Amino acid sequence: MPLLFKKNPVDIFFSVITALAALSVVVFIAGILYILIRESSLSIERFGVFNFIFSTDWDPVRESFGAATNLFGTAVTTFLSLLFAIPVAVGIAIFVTEIAPNFLKGPIGVAIELLAAIPSIIYGMWGLFTLAPIMSEYIEPALQASLGKVPVLGILFEGTPMGIDLLTASVILSIMIIPFTASISRDAFNLTPAVVKESAYALGATRWEVVKNVVIPYSRLGIFGGVVLSLGRALGETMAVAFVLGNNHQITSSLLDAAATITVTLANEFTEADTDLYLSSLFYLALILFVLSFITLAIAKIFLLRAERRS
Amino acid sequence: MTEIALEVKKLDFYYSGEVHALKNINLPVYKNTVTALIGPSGCGKTTLLRCFNRMHDLYPGNRYNGEIIFKGKNILSKDIDLIDLRSRIGMVFQKPTPFPMSIFDNIAYGLKLRGIKGRTELSERVEKALRHAALWDEVKDKLNESAYALSGGQQQRLVIARALAVEPEVLLFDEPTSALDPISTAKIEELAVRLKEDVTVIIVTHNMQQAARISDWTGFLMLGELIEFDKTDKIFTNPSQKLTEDYITGRFG
Repeated sequence: MPLLFKKNPVDIFFSVITALAALSVVVFIAGILYILIRESSLSIERFGVFNFIFSTDWDPVRESFGAATNLFGTAVTTFLSLLFAIPVAVGIAIFVTEIAPNFLKGPIGVAIELLAAIPSIIYGMWGLFTLAPIMSEYIEPALQASLGKVPVLGILFEGTPMGIDLLTASVILSIMIIPFTASISRDAFNLTPAVVKESAYALGATRWEVVKNVVIPYSRLGIFGGVVLSLGRALGETMAVAFVLGNNHQITSSLLDAAATITVTLANEFTEADTDLYLSSLFYLALILFVLSFITLAIAKIFLLRAERRS
Repeated sequence: MTEIALEVKKLDFYYSGEVHALKNINLPVYKNTVTALIGPSGCGKTTLLRCFNRMHDLYPGNRYNGEIIFKGKNILSKDIDLIDLRSRIGMVFQKPTPFPMSIFDNIAYGLKLRGIKGRTELSERVEKALRHAALWDEVKDKLNESAYALSGGQQQRLVIARALAVEPEVLLFDEPTSALDPISTAKIEELAVRLKEDVTVIIVTHNMQQAARISDWTGFLMLGELIEFDKTDKIFTNPSQKLTEDYITGRFG
């Protein structure tokens, strides 16, 4: 740190201040992790790691807790929301970078960013009052009437369509992460050198062929990074799903059933946690979410860095 | 006189925003020759080259006036099938532009776009193109490796092979050696000269020695105008225009 040894006192002061600011981030992360571990230690001692993760119990009365139902809800909503969001987001990115005329590129880009700026609680409210009734009255009965009749696949659409369920929550979540995935994919597409695209056109390729054979392969790493980043966001999203998921601790085969995610459980149950073990188990859930998010973010960063370095 | 492959007639070109980049260009390109376009930076030589395969159409707002006659048709007219045009008039760029796929797939790409799917036909034509571009011996054992693994000079020959694979009648080179070392440059130059047996070559170059070495005809452009067009020997030994002489003797540019 050569700067710290400069003689000028203003320089020293400046260096120390900025170094402290940078250090504070590390301290916060370490502090949060420490608190999560300390607060969840009671639950960790009682249930262990594997037992907690694989137990489907969530019974405050008998004080038996497990993360499996929450992990199930988190995994299903995250997976489905990515499944819905990725094609739309990549489509938006292709349109904005390769197809839209110049005068449309700006406005669409701004619209995407505005969509990302809407607070998630608003998505949640909209989901509860607008999307959920639409889902229960039209979309879910239609799905039951069509896909529900298909053997095996039909299992996914059993039950009464209430609109407050895994499917609705996933749809809300996908709308939330679309702008996110779209803007990262757009940046990844823009990394494709113009001259490489031109040489595909010069061989007589059509727009679609250029996108399919050059732009997408070229941006694969970047898109993948964006998808993992969106996955991290979907994992941690709380308010948008809290309204429409029903907070029911169960593992269910039907997407039309209520469920719970880690985040929703945390948001709903801290006020009810009347025993130390209950509270500690909630912290344990939070610790698991922390670790999951940390891992996904790290993976995403690695891919995005590699994508940038390659171009 | 040999046959004319392309004839530029009263060509004006405007970039979007009405920037008048080419002014009243008239020029014949003779079949099975190498034609060099030289001139100082910003003179319009690359702009002219990119008219021949309508590359400017990729960006909105660009506009052509005048004609370029190719096989009896004006290729600047609106009803020209650009995909067909670009398969007859290929292009090689300043920097090597391999696609993110294997060496084989790079060469086969243009063929596949044209619906050629048979494995044997593809292999034959890939080999033929690679031999044509003098790259076969260097890559025949690693056709399935990524094209990025090749050196810059090899990549540029790969790109030439890719353009040759679809058997174009004209090949456009846009400063193809500006990013290469002298040895790779010599190989590309050799190749360009040899290629004129089968195709008509138009090359834009910054390097006057290169133009003198490899071309049969040379056009000198300045500020969007074609100052002089003649046999390369004539341009470099006894130009008729004062501006041309000043440029080739290095008095500016």
